[in-house]
Amino acid sequence: MSEHEHADVVLVGAGASGGVVARHLAEAGFSVVCLEQGEWPDRDDFRGTEDDWELAIRQRWALSPNIRGMASDYPVNDDDSDINPLMFNAVGGSMIIYAGTWPRMLPSDFRVRTMDGVADDWPIDYFDVAPFYDEIDRQIGVSGLAGDPAYPPHTDYPLPPLPLGIAGKRVAQAHNELGWHWWPEPNAILSAPYDGRHACVQRGVCTSGCAEGAKASTDLTHWPKAIAAGARLVTGARVNRITTNAQGLATGATWIDRDGAEHHQTGDTVILAANAIGTARLLLLSADDHHPTGLANSSGLVGKRLMMHPFAAVTGWFDDSVEGWQGQFGASITTYEFYETDRSRGFVRGAKWALSPVGGPLNHVLPMRAGSEVWGAKHHDLMARTFGKGATWAIFGEDLPEETNRVDLDPDLCDADGIPAPRVHYRTSENSKRLMEFQVARAEESLRAAGAIDVTAANLLRYSGWHLMGTARMGDDPATSVVDRNQRAHDVANLYIVDGSVFVTSSGVNPTNTITALALRTAAHLVENRRLQEVPV
Amino acid sequence: MTAQPDRFTADQRKALSTMADVMLPETLMMPSASMVDVHGGGVDHVMMARPDLFADLQRAIDALDPLQFDLEALGALLVADEAAYTALTTAVAAAYYQSPTVRERIGYPGQVAKTYDPYAYVDWVNEGLLDPVVERGPLWRRPPGSPDQEVTP
Repeated sequence: MSEHEHADVVLVGAGASGGVVARHLAEAGFSVVCLEQGEWPDRDDFRGTEDDWELAIRQRWALSPNIRGMASDYPVNDDDSDINPLMFNAVGGSMIIYAGTWPRMLPSDFRVRTMDGVADDWPIDYFDVAPFYDEIDRQIGVSGLAGDPAYPPHTDYPLPPLPLGIAGKRVAQAHNELGWHWWPEPNAILSAPYDGRHACVQRGVCTSGCAEGAKASTDLTHWPKAIAAGARLVTGARVNRITTNAQGLATGATWIDRDGAEHHQTGDTVILAANAIGTARLLLLSADDHHPTGLANSSGLVGKRLMMHPFAAVTGWFDDSVEGWQGQFGASITTYEFYETDRSRGFVRGAKWALSPVGGPLNHVLPMRAGSEVWGAKHHDLMARTFGKGATWAIFGEDLPEETNRVDLDPDLCDADGIPAPRVHYRTSENSKRLMEFQVARAEESLRAAGAIDVTAANLLRYSGWHLMGTARMGDDPATSVVDRNQRAHDVANLYIVDGSVFVTSSGVNPTNTITALALRTAAHLVENRRLQEVPV
Repeated sequence: MTAQPDRFTADQRKALSTMADVMLPETLMMPSASMVDVHGGGVDHVMMARPDLFADLQRAIDALDPLQFDLEALGALLVADEAAYTALTTAVAAAYYQSPTVRERIGYPGQVAKTYDPYAYVDWVNEGLLDPVVERGPLWRRPPGSPDQEVTP
C-alpha cells in the first residue's frame, strides 16, 4: 500500500460540498488533499449542443449510475426502493447534472417538530445559516430577485433573474388572478457574465451538463480557486475505508486507483462529502472490531432516515407554442403557495413547485411521458398537439424521515473494485402520497388557469432521486444523531460530514444551496477552532 | 465498443423501413419514416451515438415479420422483449427527429443558443406583475424564538 504525504485535511468527494470546503480551508492555509472517484468533466464531451443530445441523456448522460455504468460510477441496488437514487461522480459531483435551481430552506423547515408536531427540529435554525446562504450566493453566482415574501428578507442576489419565458409569464399572471404566490426562481445559473464565466444561453439542457459553464458546479466555481490556494485533488481515487487509531480518532483514508493499486492518505482531520448514499456506505464499510456497526454509528442511525423527495411532473399543454424545449432547466418561476402545513388538507408539510421546460421531441414521444400508444397516424397528432406547447410544474414534496428508509451494504453486489455496493430500502409514506396528490391537483388548476387546454401528470416518479439526504443526521444528542451542530461526528472527534447526509428533515426544496451553505459553515468552524481541534499523534 | 452500422443487412434495412413506416406514416403535414431515410443514414447516425442499442435493435428487427407488422405486433414486442421494443422505438423516433426536414416541419431548431437582455425583468417589475404577490405580505411562518428583526447585511 502506498503512503502519501500527510495533510491537515483529507476530504472525500469533490462535489458540491467538497468544493466549498476545499476552497475555504485551502484559502485559510490548511493543506487539503481531496480523493475523488470521478474525473474532471470534459465540456467537449457534453452533448447538449449536439443533435444526438436526447439519445445521450438516455445512456451516457443518464442520471442513474446504474444506467450510465461509467468507470467512475458504483452500482446502487435500488430494487427495494420506490425511488431510484440519481447522482454523478466527477469533480463538481451531481452539480454536473442538477437543474441548478437554488432555493433556500425556509425558517419552518428547521422547526417541524415544534411547529407541526412531526419528525425532529434541527439543532440550528434558518437565521444561523442565513449569512452562509448569502456568501454562497456570491461564490456560486446566483441569478434571482430579492423580496420574495415566502422568505424572510435577505441580501439581494448577485445577478438579475433569468428570463420568465412565455410560459413563466403566462402562469405568473394566472397566479395573480388566483391570488396565489409566485416568484422568479433563483437559479445557480448566470444571467450575465460573472467571475470569468459565460451567461446562460437558454439551451435547456442543464441536467445533462452545461457546455457554456453558465450553470454553477464546483469544478468551475470552487476547485480552480482551491487548487490555486494549494489544495491537491486526486481523481480516479475510490475510497474504501476511513482509518482510525486506538484513541478512536480518524487517521485518514485508504483508496484504490484506477489500476487497482491501494493507497493510504493520512490527515489530521477527515471530512466526508460523498453524498448521503456514498457517505453512509463509507461509514458502514469502515466497520472494525472497535466500530462493529460502522464508524460514527453508536447511535445506530448511520444509513437510516434516507430522504429523497417524492416528485411529480405536471405539464400544461397550450394551444400555441411557448417554445417548450427552450429556457433554463433550472426553472423560470416558483411557488410556495402550498408549502406550509395546513392540516385541513389531510397531511402535514407541503411542496415547492418550479416551472420548467419540457424538453425535445423524444421526451414527448417516448416513455415516460407518452406511454406505448403513440405510434401510427396518431403519433403526428400527438406531436402537433404538444410539441413546443408545454410547460411543466416540477413538484418536490417534503419527505419526512423514517428509520426504515435506509442505506445498507449489499451482501452480493460490488463495484468494479470489489467494494460492496450500497443497497437502498425506501417506501413512499402515506403522508407523502396524500401530499403529492393534493399538490398535483392544485398544479392542474394553476396550468388550466394559465390557459392550458390539457394537463397531464406523472406523480411519484421512480427516476427522481436527485435529492439524497438524512443518513447521518445532525443533532445535539449522540444517542439520536450522528453529527453535532457543527457536523462533527459525535463518536470521532476529527471526523466531519458536509454533504446532505446531515439533514435532519428534508424540507420541500432542492437541497444543494443548503448543503453548500452548511458546508461553508462547517469549514468556517474548522478555521475558527483550528487550535482546539483534536488530532491523531 | 464502437458502432458498426454496416452490420445491418439489406434485408434488415428493408424490414426496418417497412416497420418504421407503420410507426411513423406519411400524413398531409409530415413525411413517413422511410421518406427521411430512417432505415438508412438515420439509424446509422443513431447507432453511432448509441452503439449499446445495436444488439437489441437487431433482435427486434429479426423477431418481427415486416409483412405482418402492425401496431398490435409492436405492442406484443413490448410484452415479449421490452429491451428490443425500447431499442426499436428509440432508434426509429431518434432517427426521424434528427432529420432536418422533420425538425423544420415541427418548428424545432434544436437546443439552440438564444440571447436576451438580463435586465428586461425591470420592465415586468415596473408593469406591476409582482405587485399582487408583494401586496399579500409575508407567506413564511416565523418559528418561536426566531429573531424579531432580520438583519439584512
